[in-house]
Amino acid sequence: MVLTTTEPASDVRESEATRLSTAPLARSGWRHLTSMRTALLLLTLLALAAIPGTLLPQRGLNPVKVDAFLANHPHLGPFLDHLSLFDVFAAPWFAAIYLLLFISLIGCLVPRIRLHARALRKAPPPTPRHLDRLPVNETWSSGLAVDDVVANACSALRRHRWRTEVRTEPDGGVSVAAEKGYLRETGNLVFHVSLVVLLAGIALGGLFGYKGTVLVVQGQGFANVRSSYDIFEPSRLYSDSQLSPFSFTLRQFKATYEASGEPRSFDALVDYQAQPGAATSTHDVRVNHPLAASGANVYLIGHGYALHIQVRSPSGRLVFDSDTPFLPDDGMFASHGVVKVPNGLPHQLGLTGFFYPTFETTPLGPRSSFPAARNPVLSLAAWRGDLGLDSGVPQSVYDLPVASLHHLANRQLSPGQSWRLPDGTTVRFAGVDQWATFQVAHDPGKKVVLVAAILVIAGLLGSLRVRRRRFWLRATPVDDGDGARRSVVTAAGLPRTDPDGFRQEFDSLVQRMKD
Amino acid sequence: MHLAHVSDVLLVWAVAGYALAMLGYAAEFAFGRRNAGSRAVVAGRVAVALTIAGWGAHVGSVVTRGFAAHRVPWGNMYEFSSMVALVAVTVFLVLLTRQQVRFLGAFVMAPVVLYLGLAGTVLYANAGPLVPALNSYWIKIHVVAAITASGAFMVSGVVTTLYLLKDRWERRTAVGVGPGTAAAVEFERARGGGLMGWLPAAEVLDRLAYRVVAFAFPVWTFAIMAGAIWAEQAWSRYWGWDPKETWSFITWLAYAAYLHARATAGWRGRRASVLALIGFACLMVDYYVVNTVITGLHSYAGVS
Ligand code: HEM
Repeated sequence: MVLTTTEPASDVRESEATRLSTAPLARSGWRHLTSMRTALLLLTLLALAAIPGTLLPQRGLNPVKVDAFLANHPHLGPFLDHLSLFDVFAAPWFAAIYLLLFISLIGCLVPRIRLHARALRKAPPPTPRHLDRLPVNETWSSGLAVDDVVANACSALRRHRWRTEVRTEPDGGVSVAAEKGYLRETGNLVFHVSLVVLLAGIALGGLFGYKGTVLVVQGQGFANVRSSYDIFEPSRLYSDSQLSPFSFTLRQFKATYEASGEPRSFDALVDYQAQPGAATSTHDVRVNHPLAASGANVYLIGHGYALHIQVRSPSGRLVFDSDTPFLPDDGMFASHGVVKVPNGLPHQLGLTGFFYPTFETTPLGPRSSFPAARNPVLSLAAWRGDLGLDSGVPQSVYDLPVASLHHLANRQLSPGQSWRLPDGTTVRFAGVDQWATFQVAHDPGKKVVLVAAILVIAGLLGSLRVRRRRFWLRATPVDDGDGARRSVVTAAGLPRTDPDGFRQEFDSLVQRMKD
Repeated sequence: MHLAHVSDVLLVWAVAGYALAMLGYAAEFAFGRRNAGSRAVVAGRVAVALTIAGWGAHVGSVVTRGFAAHRVPWGNMYEFSSMVALVAVTVFLVLLTRQQVRFLGAFVMAPVVLYLGLAGTVLYANAGPLVPALNSYWIKIHVVAAITASGAFMVSGVVTTLYLLKDRWERRTAVGVGPGTAAAVEFERARGGGLMGWLPAAEVLDRLAYRVVAFAFPVWTFAIMAGAIWAEQAWSRYWGWDPKETWSFITWLAYAAYLHARATAGWRGRRASVLALIGFACLMVDYYVVNTVITGLHSYAGVS
């Protein structure tokens, strides 16, 4: 009875529940309706909730901008902050929406999976009595006996992978019921289940991963222990045991530039060791090309110049000999840095420096006109006094407390040049080296997310591309009294999803059965 | 060699071809209304030929651009827009081979011409190299998918708009509407329905719009995921709620809502279609507002 009603020709599908039997129809229909409504509402809500996260600055992306916004809007700012509008994607209300969405999704998936599993095992539904009332139908007479008609029909259908069920009817006729496109619902379920798995994978990474940043000067090394990092961000349930014991040495860093100074390529050649004692292999770490280091990834995220500076005491003893990283201030890599020499000299010595890889003087002062070291110049100021290293107050390696120091002299140096300070100390600019910053990231949920993502797409393709349709055929014997075995055949079809193209498919099937 | 110049000239030809094709489709409609059936057929065929010619020039423009810049021709907003328009025309031509959709011609050509016009003037950027961050084979995969989905979404947006207009017309001219509209109905009927009468039934349009979304949505999903894989390689995280990522996600949610609405009683039809148009609006925000107004990591717009 359900089957004989003509379905609306739209793509609207009812759940299997609504057509399997009449009794739970109302209940499950209602449930279906409400859950789809809920899903629709929550999907829309989630989209709306994400919008402020793109219009207002977000702490997770740009904390400086957030501070600026708060400073510029003393009244509005704190109010928005109170609503977590600067941390939208970590806000409780944002989490509430997506958690509700996923709870609703799981609640709706469990019964649907059960129904679909049952539908997959069940034979196609019985042939409706009045096939000629279905939207697509055709009747013809055949010179074959009923059994042969049915056998032909079944083989034509099965060749196109229709699921078929032959039933003998009380009036002597035989009917074939066939259905195809179960993959649509399978795909749909795979899609939705994979969404849940994907979220679980994201949560896994968020709870157990870590991330850290380290600056390495050319020729120096890094070992993956927590204390090696300049910045380390563990996740909530992180433990040190997640740090795999790899190490690497930055053998060489190479940057190339366009004539305009725009960067063209960066390459960091590293000698990598998966664990102490393991074989060493060389890798080229580039932008878009991280090094896969036993579970973690090592990314190249920045670079700059490290200046080789030597300091000798008035008596000629080498008291400082090291590559000092300078921090870039602009796209042409004009950089600044600090050298601290606390020991070995009559007084503690501090040097503040500006470095210009391609030095140029302009009316506004010196500047760098190109990021590569074409004409490197180091401009130093020397300071004497207590560097404050023993004061117990943490000190930045890039700052010198110049206010409390005594200024000695200034000098511009090219590589190889030495500078003799008034007290006989010599400072030598020995050479230009480079450094690179690396980010090490470990996300244990990544593989889960990737597999789930692939299944999301596979499921989606099944769900949106496969069309579910039914086909019925009834053959009744015709007795002309002359003993010839002939039959009248009626076939009908019902597209249960997208009806486009169904007519052609039906016609070609029928054509094959007539032949 | 001035390949970049060749590319620009070919784009002008493409726009000219499309604009003339648009006139052809309009003529087909006009002749059809005046019962000049054979002329209508000729106009329609000429329009399709012009579309194909414009498409050829367009492909040429994109290819020469790629050779001029020694890279894939979708590195900035100008090239991007050109590609999206190219996909939209391609989707239309592919649909033509499967289904009677010539009625769409003028309605696809109009936004394409507008789009290319804006791309070639406001968004135009010289053929230059890519910044290192964009230099990955994922740009080919991710961006091609995003462009393909966008071009298809554009076509489906056109069809959805036509659907909404036709649906309103059908309801207005249906028997049993309020007395106030009787005159209007008479007028419409007397005119043979004009443009609206000429368009296929609302239901056909709705289904066509759905079919195109059903093609574009998985491609868009794939684009987002490929973008996440790329982000993981470039920026050490696969998802970071960067504005571009977020608006792609919002667009995705809007189209998912549309697909759900089609299966939800009380939402199928008009309301669902409005969701699809909102999805398209989100896509436009994603491309144009995010690239120019909101700055994020995806600052490759090439407009200054
Ligand atoms: C993360 C959010 C979700 C997304 C992105 C999503 C996406 C989709 C898509 C793309 C379809 C295919 C529509 C079609 O076949 O035409 C679909 C169908 C469906 N979704 Fe979801 N869904 C989500 C959440 C939910 C939730 C929470 C529920 C249940 C409460 C749900 C229930 C359904 C049902 C019942 C269908 C089948 C409708 C049909 O066969 O057309 N979905 N969903």
